[in-house]
Amino acid sequence: MKIETAAHSDYTVISIAGEIDMYSSPELRDTLLALVKKKAATVIVNLKDVKYIDSSGIATFVEALKKMLAYKGKFKMAQVPDRVMEIFNFSKLDKVFNIYGSIEDAANS
Amino acid sequence: MKNNIKNKSVPPKKDKDKDKDKVAVSAVYLRNIEKKVEDLETIIEVSSIISSTLDYSKLISLIMEKAKHIMQAEACSILQYDKESNKLFFEFAITGERVTSNLLLKERVTLDMGQGIAGWVAEHLEPVIIEDVYLDERFYREADELNNFKTKSLIAVPLVGRRGLLGVAMIINPKDKSHFSDYDAGIFQTFCVQISAAIENSRFHTESVQMEKFRQGLEIASVLQKSFLPENPAFTKGNLHVSAANIPAEKIGGDIYDFIEPVNGSIGVLVGDVSGKGISAALYMAKIISDFRYKSKTIEYPEVVFNRLNVGLSNSPMGMFLTAAYFIVDVNTGQFTVSAAGHPPFLWISNSGVKIMDIPSGPPLGIIQYEYTSSGFTLQSGDRLLILTDGVFDAKNKIGERLGFGRLVAYVKEHREKESLVQAIVDYLHDFSNGAETSDDITLVELKWK
Repeated sequence: MKIETAAHSDYTVISIAGEIDMYSSPELRDTLLALVKKKAATVIVNLKDVKYIDSSGIATFVEALKKMLAYKGKFKMAQVPDRVMEIFNFSKLDKVFNIYGSIEDAANS
Repeated sequence: MKNNIKNKSVPPKKDKDKDKDKVAVSAVYLRNIEKKVEDLETIIEVSSIISSTLDYSKLISLIMEKAKHIMQAEACSILQYDKESNKLFFEFAITGERVTSNLLLKERVTLDMGQGIAGWVAEHLEPVIIEDVYLDERFYREADELNNFKTKSLIAVPLVGRRGLLGVAMIINPKDKSHFSDYDAGIFQTFCVQISAAIENSRFHTESVQMEKFRQGLEIASVLQKSFLPENPAFTKGNLHVSAANIPAEKIGGDIYDFIEPVNGSIGVLVGDVSGKGISAALYMAKIISDFRYKSKTIEYPEVVFNRLNVGLSNSPMGMFLTAAYFIVDVNTGQFTVSAAGHPPFLWISNSGVKIMDIPSGPPLGIIQYEYTSSGFTLQSGDRLLILTDGVFDAKNKIGERLGFGRLVAYVKEHREKESLVQAIVDYLHDFSNGAETSDDITLVELKWK
């Protein structure tokens, strides 16, 4: 798994590539919690290059989402690949996350 | 060798025939040979010590004493490399005076990579011989000051094992000459191979002891976790026969199933899957199952139980959540209501075929506030419901290919006449994975209406 962070004036984009599973999710958690600690107003996770996500990976996003909601921060997802979207739909996580087609859409919403 | 022979002193030949096989050698040459033999014997002795004990401290002290003796050195020290902090710290320091050597250890003197001669050796993974350390800018004088010891000449060698850098060993100040020779360096490097082997052996031993303790702990945890699940995985109540199978991917897992009797004449069946797996999932599963038993008592509506559970799990640690389906079946009429929370669809097997029941569902429990709903149905004679966790269709074979939901449904369609679908699917998964490591917990519950 590879993580890239790009800070913009009013939002931060976290681009993830590869597999998000039990072994790689702690690194992702560290990245997201560092933003939560700074009370980042808007975080957009770009999942375009994610090949696979398991429930540990989803829990990492859930934790960031819950912590950001607590201070009224916005946690958004963009460019979710079909394979990952299937998992989200199957688990009704589409009711949990705000999902956008592009980073621009996520940033402008 | 040639040089030695050239310098040898030749004794007078009194009896030509008697002495014809004798070769006279110089005293220096003999002393050198004797020293080499003695060194070799010590190295062999150290080898046998290494293979006979796993007491790391004893072993290293002994090897270092031997090194100090054989090399006629004033002091010897070992710095261990700590991968986490990327630093070297003094682990053993033997000098003639025990008090001074203890100071280095007591003060926990550490060196960064590249700091001091030892740091340089660790960084470059190259041994060094230094004639006068005070002329070498890499030398870290504070260690001498702290120790009240004057380092003059030294040999420092990186200790490298199969998993990389272990530390640095140093032999300090020869007693019988001003500085160490290349021969000394060769001998000390041989010692260092032994020291590295001793450190690795001892680490492997410690790790295997810890692994064994952990394994025993897991065995106990596994028994404890099974005690949270229903005592009997199969029973009949009224017209309803229930059977279940639960196979954790590791010794313990985060899948749940439970049977309760919320009110007279009905059976509640919960199937759930905690996010993640292993110890954290198992501990959370234990909390959820006790919450569920408490919150489902006397409640006839599955959605009410889910709403209560969802509130109870809202402060879940590290974003953990539960996907679940909860059925309450009237064992006399076959009517049932079901609520789903992000759980895979269940299968309804009847005389007319197999139906995928993708009922209206809320998100997994423990994430957001949500009003769960339920759906109501009635079972007919011979109908069966199959409820499962995603580990069933996420099962992988040896080439990493997943079974997939579609293939599972196709299998059920083809084998719906089997007496026990639970057992048939467990066997099918076993054949499919064909020895491939189980990647997720597997739970299957079958409800059969007479």
